[in-house]
Amino acid sequence: MGFIRSAFFDFSRNKGRTFLTSLGILIGVMAVVLLTAFGLGLRAYIEQQFEDLGSNLIRIVPGNPLKGGSFSNPGSFITIKFDEKDVQNLSRIREVKLIVPVYSKTVNIVSGNNKESSTIYASNEGVFTALNVKAEYGTLYTDQDVDKRSKVIVIGYTLAEDLFSSAKNAVGKSVKFEGQKYTVIGVTEKKGGGGFGGPDFDTFTYMPYKTAYTFNTDKTFMAIILQTKTEEGIKPVIRQVNEILLKRYEEEEFSIIQQEELLTAINSIFGIINTVLVAIAAISLVVGGIGIMNIMYVTVTERIKEIGIRRALGARKSDILIQFLVASVILSLIGGIAGLTVSYIIVFFIQAYFPAYIDLNSVLLAVGVSSAIGIIFGVFPAKKAADLSPIDAIRYE
Amino acid sequence: MIQLTRVWKKYQIDDDVVFTALKDISLTIEKGEFSSLIGPSGSGKSTLMHIIGLLDKSSEGEVLIEGRNTAELSDDEISTLRNEFVGFVFQQFNLINKLTIKENILLPTTYARKKIEYDPGKKADEIMERFGILEKANSYPNRISGGQQQRVAIARALIMSPSLILADEPTGNLDTKTGDEIMKLLSQLNKEDNITVLIVTHEQDIAAITKRKIQIVDGKLA
Repeated sequence: MGFIRSAFFDFSRNKGRTFLTSLGILIGVMAVVLLTAFGLGLRAYIEQQFEDLGSNLIRIVPGNPLKGGSFSNPGSFITIKFDEKDVQNLSRIREVKLIVPVYSKTVNIVSGNNKESSTIYASNEGVFTALNVKAEYGTLYTDQDVDKRSKVIVIGYTLAEDLFSSAKNAVGKSVKFEGQKYTVIGVTEKKGGGGFGGPDFDTFTYMPYKTAYTFNTDKTFMAIILQTKTEEGIKPVIRQVNEILLKRYEEEEFSIIQQEELLTAINSIFGIINTVLVAIAAISLVVGGIGIMNIMYVTVTERIKEIGIRRALGARKSDILIQFLVASVILSLIGGIAGLTVSYIIVFFIQAYFPAYIDLNSVLLAVGVSSAIGIIFGVFPAKKAADLSPIDAIRYE
Repeated sequence: MIQLTRVWKKYQIDDDVVFTALKDISLTIEKGEFSSLIGPSGSGKSTLMHIIGLLDKSSEGEVLIEGRNTAELSDDEISTLRNEFVGFVFQQFNLINKLTIKENILLPTTYARKKIEYDPGKKADEIMERFGILEKANSYPNRISGGQQQRVAIARALIMSPSLILADEPTGNLDTKTGDEIMKLLSQLNKEDNITVLIVTHEQDIAAITKRKIQIVDGKLA
């Protein structure tokens, strides 16, 4: 206790010096904590986006987008397209809850004088369940609409606003695309997204896939989405899908993408980027530590006489060592806790614009790292103090 | 209690220059003695005191403290002896300015290895009362007079109930009247508390108060 009081006495007598020394640690801790907070926020945001897209999903797409090529350019191999026969075959898998064939096309939708570009998502009624899409106004189309080839569409919130100035007004209105007239029966809930290069579902147009056969004359699909009944069902379903598709196609002609796999891939990329950034920020902590070491050497020199007195009164080397280590740890902790406080304030204000957050690990890390820096960079000055010869120290003026 | 046999102290000043501060000193101090170590400045009396007080080590010779050869003791054991066996009183008082009077007096107890049988706080109060500095308990050293500071230093030397008090020019920074009071106090401690007291001084007047005068000139006992 005496050491701690003694340390605080010295700090309060040298307020400016204490502040500047702690500032180094403050900046270092702040950089690390904030970058971690942004990383965590970003990860949570991405996970939320994926969750909004529905869970337990398996996407079957042509080509091999994850290994070479891409969604838009599937590479050099021949691109296959799925058809109703595939859908029928796949629907026999028992663990599958929903099977959603998708035909997609970008079109210009015309309503009166307004013209907007939109991605058509032609599918069955299961698409709403699988992708977690709900109606804000009006209704969603049903299996009957699919079978009857009803000329109905459900449009995204932003698209509805752009076409009809207000999303509410859209229901019941007619639009034109691909030479046909369709009735808007529903507007979907706002989903957000569209950031980070992802699709903006609020500008999509959903329609029954059989209705789309008027311009999808091949009656083919770009993708088939499966939703399994349980998470455990994903693996066995993938295996069966593979077996079924291999009867018609070559192995490299299609890919089965698991949502979670994609999420893991994205998360690991962000994880690496974040780790690198945090490591760079940690360099400033080392610089802060050197500042502490410097000031502790000064403190030791200033207090040589006191060290001599204490040793004359019976202090052992280890007592002196601990006294100076406590001082440097406190100095470092002051910076660490201040850095954490400033980070909290910044995160508090930034949360309105970016989903950053500070977790318990960051707090423990900040406190732990600043203590460790106090010890690592304090031990050399403290050792110097402890190793002073008592007689030289007490004679020092 | 303290026995020095053929003690030498040499300092290497330069590659081939050696300064000899103490030459072949043999000295015994018995328990309960009230003695002074007297010599002109540069005679080596402070060096000798530092060796007796275990702040410094001899270059040659044996120093026995209560029969224990100090050369064979570890740094921690020597620290413990400084804590329990010796009480220092310095010319410059050597109080720690950021601690209160009472905290200064209690400082040696924070380094105690042995269990202290008494209540240190109570004992500090008793000593302060005896020395007339009790009302200054919560003051800081730079707020009290030199005489009072030296009383605090003596109180600090006494807190661990040492066998030996080593006073290095205890009156050197004080006026004559205050110096006399401090000498009276040290003499009292020897008489009433049976503590061995060794005073280092260059003043014959001070040495005259003690019962035994140890003369040192040019590093040799006279």
